[in-house]
Amino acid sequence: MEFSPDLFASLFFHTIGYWWVIIPSILLGLIVGAIPGFSAANTIIILLPLTLVMDVEVGLIFMVALYCSSRMGAGIPAILVNIPGTAGAAATPLDGYPMTKAGKAQQALAISFVSSTAGGLLTTVVALLTMPWLARVSFYMHSVEMIVVMLFGISLIATIAARDTLKGLIAGFFGLMIGAIGTDHVYATPRGTFGFLELYDGVPLIPALVGLFAVSESFLMIEGESILSQHGKDVIRKSGWAATLEGARIAVFRWWHITWNSLIGLVIGVIPGAGASIASFVAYQQSRTYSKTPERYGTGHPEGLIAPESANNGVTSGTLIPLMILGIPGGATAAIMLVVMQYHGVILGPALFTDYPELGYGVFMAMAVTYLMMIFTVLPLARYMSRVTLLSTVYMAPLVIAFTLVGSFVPREYMFDMYLALAFGVIGYIARKTGYHVAAILIGVILGPLLEQYFLRALKMSDGDLMVLFSSNIGNVLWMLLVFSVTLSLYMQHRRRSTDSAEDGKSR
Amino acid sequence: MPTPRKRKGAGSELLIPIAALLFTLYYFWTIWNSPWTAQVSAFFIGTILITLVLVFMLKTAVALYRREAHLGIGELLAPRSLLPVRIGLLMMTVGYVILVKWGGFTLTTWVFLCGAMLILNGWRRKRLVALLSAALALSGYLLFIVAFETRFPRGPFENLMRSIF
Repeated sequence: MEFSPDLFASLFFHTIGYWWVIIPSILLGLIVGAIPGFSAANTIIILLPLTLVMDVEVGLIFMVALYCSSRMGAGIPAILVNIPGTAGAAATPLDGYPMTKAGKAQQALAISFVSSTAGGLLTTVVALLTMPWLARVSFYMHSVEMIVVMLFGISLIATIAARDTLKGLIAGFFGLMIGAIGTDHVYATPRGTFGFLELYDGVPLIPALVGLFAVSESFLMIEGESILSQHGKDVIRKSGWAATLEGARIAVFRWWHITWNSLIGLVIGVIPGAGASIASFVAYQQSRTYSKTPERYGTGHPEGLIAPESANNGVTSGTLIPLMILGIPGGATAAIMLVVMQYHGVILGPALFTDYPELGYGVFMAMAVTYLMMIFTVLPLARYMSRVTLLSTVYMAPLVIAFTLVGSFVPREYMFDMYLALAFGVIGYIARKTGYHVAAILIGVILGPLLEQYFLRALKMSDGDLMVLFSSNIGNVLWMLLVFSVTLSLYMQHRRRSTDSAEDGKSR
Repeated sequence: MPTPRKRKGAGSELLIPIAALLFTLYYFWTIWNSPWTAQVSAFFIGTILITLVLVFMLKTAVALYRREAHLGIGELLAPRSLLPVRIGLLMMTVGYVILVKWGGFTLTTWVFLCGAMLILNGWRRKRLVALLSAALALSGYLLFIVAFETRFPRGPFENLMRSIF
């Protein structure tokens, strides 16, 4: 697997020739990514028969383009109506939606699109050049190291809870308890399932996402005629292309932020099972910790939007690295790609890059070309997409409820999941009305089962000795980084409060 | 004359901690006789959660004692003028989830959208709402069931269409 500029150049132009596959796939991916329950993986499964009859190269390009654009699509409803399309975009509304409410939906979409495409493109290029080394990351990330990565994600609860720490922590730990519902990993003992067989596999994420975000938001949005203030409406109505360009400028000027967070996404994506939701939470937490203006996070701060969007697109190329080099899929979509490639007789592994470089490198090149084409096809749409926010809540709320509730039915086809989404909707409504952050609950639901899984694995390997958590060098470095990160966050918070009280004292 | 300070509605703020506490206790009950592998993580998280909830309750008790808070749940239902509309929308949503199994996606979605939009619109613009709801439900049918072949709940309308085409 050696770097060859000629090969890459010819592959690049060869892949551009497949624009007729890539552009429709981008548009399809945007739609399925934006609707909760319709992930890229589900769509590829639905279209699997079609993919199998295609030429293997066309099939892979189709899947890669759909995968990349659906990741970006998931951020669109998160920004516009506070409803993430997938769990990977759950950190996006933290700053995206406040921007929308301030009438900056178009700018927020442009920031999201540029961060997503730049982050995705950059990590694809990095993946192409460093694939053999990056593939080793998954070898070094064992249960102990993964526990620390999870704790990085969970520490975001404290970040979100900055305004009322106690409430934030209660919400987060409540989510972790809900995430622990289901049978245990060793003896399959049902725990906290209320006797429902449907909960034996754990709490499904889509109904939780739909209930906590979409249903609860719909019952709140009806308090006003529109989700926008009159000023916000005026801004949206008057905005021309300038808002898109301004959003793009804001994102481009924060190129270092995009680079850093997309690389976080790439590394987390390489670890099988980690995924976009963890990457986006870790990126948001890191971004806020090292920011000069952490107090602006959660109020519509562009950096709070750039971090999760560039990270979750960095994950896309990361998940394909273990697949292509080791034959280990890093996520659901990668697993389906594995099925398609095996159907066509493609043997994955290092030999793929020497025997069939046009296929091995071609997958990553398809990703790079898709991201390039997305800039030109999706960015101009920001102006028109932002108009959705002008729709009256009289029509928007019922539409959101109907389509997202039925979307929660899709992944498992259980009617139970619709009732579950409704139950989460009630929890979400009470939480929002009483100052508990629904994102903190969702982080708990996502990370709870994963944390338990890795925690148990580590304890079983050490016969129950807790010191195993500090037994690896990489793990210890990650522990130090975690402690440093949390301490720095607390120190910055303390310093900010001291400065604020000093300024208050002066003003009196 | 100094204006009296507004008291915080602690009753509504206690709902999530109480739900969390009750759920954690129920969870502990379900794992009480389980092997340690099923207990260790939940006991760890649950103990922290119970501690946090007790601290919150203590804080609330102090606020109640100082008359800085009251046990009402008014904030949860505010604004009061919207309460009938919100209850109406909730009833429609519950009805939608129950009936979609028999009515199928298209028909039930149309009825739900019509009813919910009319409730939110004060029963005005009935014709527009009926047409808009029908267009949205049909678009959903064409996109999800016909184009994507998604297994949405099927009912009389979907079965009729399948028998015709």
